[in-house]
Amino acid sequence: MPEAEAIERAKKGDPESFEGLYGLHKRRVYSLCLRMTGNTAEAEDLTQEAFLQLYRKIATFRGESAFSTWLHRLAVNVVLMHLRKKGLPEVSLEESLEPQQEDGPKKDIGARDNVLAGSIDRVNLERAIESLPPGYRIIFVLHDIEGYEHNEIAEMMGCSIGNSKSQLHKARMKLRDLLKTSRAEKAVKR
Amino acid sequence: MTCAEFQKALPYIIETGGNAEEEQHLRECPVCSDLVQDLRYIVEQAKLLVPMEEPSPKVWDGIKGSLEREGMIRPSRARGRLLGKKSSLPWIGALGAIILIAFGAFLFQRGRQTQPGAALETIATPPVQAISLETVATEQDDQQLLQQVAARRPGSAPLYESNLTQVNAAIADAKKRLGENPNDEDARQSLMRAYQQKAMLYELAVRAVQ
Repeated sequence: MPEAEAIERAKKGDPESFEGLYGLHKRRVYSLCLRMTGNTAEAEDLTQEAFLQLYRKIATFRGESAFSTWLHRLAVNVVLMHLRKKGLPEVSLEESLEPQQEDGPKKDIGARDNVLAGSIDRVNLERAIESLPPGYRIIFVLHDIEGYEHNEIAEMMGCSIGNSKSQLHKARMKLRDLLKTSRAEKAVKR
Repeated sequence: MTCAEFQKALPYIIETGGNAEEEQHLRECPVCSDLVQDLRYIVEQAKLLVPMEEPSPKVWDGIKGSLEREGMIRPSRARGRLLGKKSSLPWIGALGAIILIAFGAFLFQRGRQTQPGAALETIATPPVQAISLETVATEQDDQQLLQQVAARRPGSAPLYESNLTQVNAAIADAKKRLGENPNDEDARQSLMRAYQQKAMLYELAVRAVQ
């Protein structure tokens, strides 16, 4: 059954269509929830909630955007609502654009460290993302993995575009440190 | 321009590029150059993180239960599982996966027959016929894919390799289960999903090396 037909049938309450749409999109929605929360149980609950909201609102889907885009945005909102209820810091609204202590210039004196190119595999990268502080992880997942633009993230998170860029940069810098540490630990073990 | 000044501006210029002074610093400073190279590499690798994880079956059970309680779905007329053996939705997905894998393999075949590397810049649009599941995306195709990626995008090769290893393991496991029990519906759906994921990887690789 083509997706468009499944959507129309789902609007009429056809259970096979509901399950069909779930099967098509569950992996991406679940991966998004898992990466943003870092917790399997939470991710499953949020996946369930996202799809329930989808089915409740599916009658309002008019096709102005791609269905997957619409569903994806809905899932992001579900996760962000959940995180707000938990009181987790998403983005600091008072974030100063002045460099903080930890943001000092990375001017290494002496030998240059080896660049990362060619040394990252999927497992290490996923683990490093999981290790990020929640605020950094959310921004990184939304921008660099899920492809949202800064203006969209700013609107979702209630922050400025500059703030979004600053947080993203910090997330990437933190990932860089984590990946280099992981690589160094592996080298020691050999 | 000092490193401190450059790195202060970096969050706002890394995607769009900087002014003349910033670009000059980037050319001349090995530390900042390495930093930018690392950050761009991380971004590139993040884009390749194909969704591989699946929620447990209880997620769907929970959804279905809630929908029934809310009266949002009418009882299914199908007997047994909602996605019965005759449902065409999974098989359409499998056919799409076969076509994508075949198309990807076709492009790499053209690449071998003409100039290595150059053929990937031309997009072939002949009709692609579905090929038997046993003959598409063999180990040789995987190796050729990885060689092409390593030649054109060396930094991305390890991630492609680990993704392919994972998806091939999933294919092998599902095939084994189907060999033991041809009526294993879960194994059949697992196999189709694994082929879809492999097709997605091939598609990403083709785009990456073009």
